[in-house]
Parts: sequence; C-alpha cells; structure tokens
Amino acid sequence: MIKKILIANRGEIAHRIIKACRESGIISAAIYSDADKNALHVRRADEAYLIGESPASESYLNKEKIISLAKKIGADAIHPGYGFLSENSQFIKMVEESGIIFIGPSSKSVEMMGEKTSARRLMKRNNVPIVPGTTEPLNNSAEGKKYALEIGYPVMLKAAAGGGGKGMRKVDSPDQFDESFERARNESLKAFGSDAVYIEKFIEHPKHIEVQILGDKFGNYIHMFERECSVQRRHQKVIEEAPSISVDPVTREKITSAAIEAARACQYYNAGTIEFLMDKNKNFYFLEMNTRLQVEHPVTEMITGIDLVKQQIRIAEGEKLLLNQSDLSIHGHAIECRVYAEDVDNNFSPSTGKIIHHRLTSGPGIRIDRGIDVQSEVPVFYDPMLSKVIAWGINRDEAMSRMKRALGEYQISGVITNIPVFNWIMKQKTFLDGTFDINFLDNEFIPLLPGKWKEDSNREYEEIAAVVGALLKMNEMKIKLSENFTGSNNRWREQSYE
Amino acid sequence: MNEFVVTINERKYSVKIDLSGVVVLGGRKLSADLTPIANNSYVLRLGDKVFEITANKINQEKYGIIIDADYFEATVRTQLKETASELQNKKAKAFHHSEVKAPMPGLLLKLRVKEGDEIKMGESIMILEAMKMENELRSPSSGVVTKINFKEGQSVEKDSVILTIE
Repeated sequence: MIKKILIANRGEIAHRIIKACRESGIISAAIYSDADKNALHVRRADEAYLIGESPASESYLNKEKIISLAKKIGADAIHPGYGFLSENSQFIKMVEESGIIFIGPSSKSVEMMGEKTSARRLMKRNNVPIVPGTTEPLNNSAEGKKYALEIGYPVMLKAAAGGGGKGMRKVDSPDQFDESFERARNESLKAFGSDAVYIEKFIEHPKHIEVQILGDKFGNYIHMFERECSVQRRHQKVIEEAPSISVDPVTREKITSAAIEAARACQYYNAGTIEFLMDKNKNFYFLEMNTRLQVEHPVTEMITGIDLVKQQIRIAEGEKLLLNQSDLSIHGHAIECRVYAEDVDNNFSPSTGKIIHHRLTSGPGIRIDRGIDVQSEVPVFYDPMLSKVIAWGINRDEAMSRMKRALGEYQISGVITNIPVFNWIMKQKTFLDGTFDINFLDNEFIPLLPGKWKEDSNREYEEIAAVVGALLKMNEMKIKLSENFTGSNNRWREQSYE
Repeated sequence: MNEFVVTINERKYSVKIDLSGVVVLGGRKLSADLTPIANNSYVLRLGDKVFEITANKINQEKYGIIIDADYFEATVRTQLKETASELQNKKAKAFHHSEVKAPMPGLLLKLRVKEGDEIKMGESIMILEAMKMENELRSPSSGVVTKINFKEGQSVEKDSVILTIE
C-alpha cells in the first residue's frame, strides 16, 4: 500500500492529485520552485519541499533532485502529473531503479510509444490503423520530397520525438518543402533534443478523437469511451468533450477496440490515452499515445463517475482492475474549457502577473480544477493555464448551457484570460451542430483577430459596458477633484476604485 | 451633468450622468448605481436590472470590462477630450508610419527584411521564437523599412519596437 506520494508537478494537476491522495488517506508531498513558494498546490499538500530555482530545468525537470528528495522523505511513489517529466522514459527508468513506485506506465512502454516512428511501426504490426506515410525518420529533404509525391500533397512533417504541435509543419507544395523541413527539424531539436522528422499524409478536415484506457499489471484492459478534442489552436486543445457528438455506437465500438489493441501492443499499464484522427467518413487513424494522465481527464470522470487518479494509484500499487467493461456506461455529457492567462488579441501572448480577484463559479454540474487563487502570481516560467472549468449535463445542450452560465459567473482579474473566447465558440454554428474539425479555430476564429470577434458580443452588454466605463471614469474624476480641492476630511477618500 | 463618449468595438456611445446618478443613454433615462464588491468586482444596478461586473483600468482612458463572460475594452473620454482627440487623430494620419512591436518576449530568430526594403502588408518579415514555438510575424502595413533596431539572435522584450515602416 502506498502511504506517501511525491507529486512531481505544479499547478492545477498537482492540486488535483493532492485531492485524490487526501480522499485515499495518502500523505501528499508537493515540490515547488522559488516562484511557487505559496502556490495553491503547495498550500493544499500535506508536506511541501523546495526543489530549486524558478526555471523548470532547475526545479520541476530536475530528475536527480526529485528522486533523491523522494528517497529522503520516505515517499513510496511519485506521481508525475502531465507535462514535465511524465513521459520522460529516462526519468521513469531512474524511478524504477530507485525502488520507488512510478504512478504511470513502465519506462519500456513509454519508450515504445515515445518515439513516433517506432510507435507507428508497432501499431502497423498490431493492425491499428495509422496515417499513410513513413515509419522511419527522413534522412534529408530530398528523400522527404520523394515520399511527399508518392502519398500526395498536402503532407505533414512531424517530430519523431514530438508531441504538442512542436516541430510540426504542414507542407502544401514542393516549393515549400525545404524550408518547412528545416524549421520542423530546428523546432524539434530545440523542443525534444532530436531533429528526427517523419512524413505523414495530411488528413483533410479530421476530428481529433481520443480514447481513455486503463490497464493493470496483469494484462487486463478497459476503455472509458472517447473524448472529442477538435477545438485546437496550434495543436493545443482548447475545449474538450465527452462523448463526441460525431462518434456513433458502431464507430465507438471500433475505435475503442483499436485503442485497447494499441495499449496491449506496448504492454501498457496505468491510465493512458490513444489519440486518433477521424475523417468525414469516420475512418480513424492512430496519431499517438499519451502515456500519462491527460489535462482533459475530468470530462471522462464526469460521464463515467470513475476517479482516474485513484485508479492510477490502485494500479500502481499492483492491484487488479476491479472494474469490468460492462460496469461502465456513458452518463450524460461533459465539456471542459481550459482557462489560460493569455492575451488573445495580442497574438495569444502569455499574460503574467498577480491574480487580484478570483471568484469561482459553482452550482449544478460544475467542477473547477485550478492552480490559482486570489493573490496567486502567474509566473513567466511555466504554462499559463490557470484553471479548467468542467460542466456536466444530461445531454450536450444542458452541458453547454451550464458552461455558459458558469463562465458568466467566473471572475478573474489581474491577468487577461481567454474566457470570452469560449463564449464566442459556444455561439458558432459549426461548434453547436458538431460539424467542426481540427481546423475550426484556424478557419473561423483566427481571421477575426485582433478584435473583430468581439463585435459578435452581446449588444445589450456592450451598452451596459459603456455605462460602466462612464461611471468608473466619473468616480475617478470625483476622487481627483476631492484630493485637489478639499481637505482631508472628505468622504470620497473612503472610496477606492482600484 | 457629466458627458462622456465611450468607444467600444469602434462604436461610440454618448453617456450622460447627472449628480443624482441618473444616466442618459441614447435618449433613455435610467437610475444607475455602481458599487464595488471586491477588488475589480462591482455590482451595477441600472433601472430594475442588476449586473455583475469585473472591470480593471488598462490605461488613463481605457477600461477592460467583463459582463457575463463577454469582454469589452472601453475607451472613456469626456466630451471635451473626445473632440480634442479626434483632431489629433486627423493630424497623425498625415504622418503615417507604423512600428512593428514584439507581441511577446522572445528570441529574434530570423529577419527577412533589411533597411530600405519595400514591403507589402501581410508579408512575412521575421520569425520570433517564444514559448518554444517559432512565430511568424507579418507586416502590419505597406511601405519602406526605415529602421531596424535588433539583430538576428537577439532577445526582445514584449512591446519593444523591432522595426519601423514608413
């Protein structure tokens, strides 16, 4: 039995894991960098340890420090969350060798799935459909061009070591090939330390559909249905849903079986996600496997009622899956919005600073997973995701109307957030009728930047905002007047309109 | 009576407020009360309606205002200031030039133009690396590059002027 877990992460996911620990009677040990001294994940943990300076390489990515700390404090297990070291097979190997339990898959499984070309070979061998293209990295641009002609433009260049959209380039025609190849290689080298790039056929208008699976150390597998993650910008998900409005029962049967085959092929255990691209005719192709907990795991938890983090812990402890596939069914619909501190109209640049006001939303069907609180600093060093708002409803319409209601109640100030963008998305016909694909934001939202998308906002509210603006200005002027012309015994001084 | 011109999404609203808190907006008279609840958080009563508002000051005349997840940037000027600023705008247009600023802090990876180059609006002019991504910046206007303030390989702060187009 695991008694103490070191959580090698920060922000909302560290906070989420702490909740599972507390509910299970397990001691949670947080780590933090200088910048995160009083972060919410630190405050919510049972124990907290300074791990290093603010840059992630000195703290949350410092393998040796994290493992030696885990030994020193007597942690039986390490939970990596997502990002940082979660899919670093070298780190996982070090944990395995130290005798500490890694709450995730074996380093071997991660290695098999981590390198994209070898994963493609493995899938091909196990009859999991893959996107047409190479299963070996390209040696040079000329070779790439040859393949591109064979499979037909447009094609995608992808980092073999990659994920998250880095080192990924679409090439529409041969004359763009050389430059795109160089840039994909450069980005890949910088992001992953390897410049291996491979080529895939570009699938037109695909949806991003992924399947959540659980496997134990005895070769038992179950799936927890699919998630729809097609609302993306630069391959980063923005809104996720479960189930997908586009997956019918027959397709669901096929895609979930393929996912389990994929997991079995790499002898996977723990929670994992198999990502697919699905075209208009509901053909699906293996994209990659995420060998960790996903950011969007709550939507699956909401429709199945299963706590994925607790399942991860049980599996890591060496317990058999207690769940049978027949125990699981889809109950209702869930949507997640990722709230980022970013200035959408300013090229999505991260907005850092102090949260000066934060009022949570709540009520029927609403869950918030967050890493911030009032007075929290949003540091420049890490991902600018602040929180996730998750809405559950008996069907998609109800989930959506709850989401709208909740986002309207949710107040954050001090940093600029992307909340108004969700409001825009949930008014778009293609989003509402489910015909959106992974190009939805690129095609419909990006052309409205900067600013034009806001013209679509509620006119009544715009008028109200004008009144608010005028009232704020007037109050300021009054305060100034009173400071200038009257004595200290002035009632306006009591008012502060920060 | 205070008279303001509020500009949102390039639409102008005339808002008059008298000392008793009555607002005149587009010919309608409404009683108005804006009460602070917490930092940047207010409740607005307008006639019989109630609204929760989050608002912050962006600069001397600009406010960011959120109502029910809709975000508005409101430029608020007194009637007098508005008239003055319109005059100034007309002047500025005669001497048109634009500055290309870094939208985010990052590393200037590649400059595709040099001083003296003629460029068109929308043309790719540089690649800025930020958040481990390569971002392509395009020209906001057509003209001639008159000044470049950075070299390839240099880091740039947010909002620093990378080059000027006239």
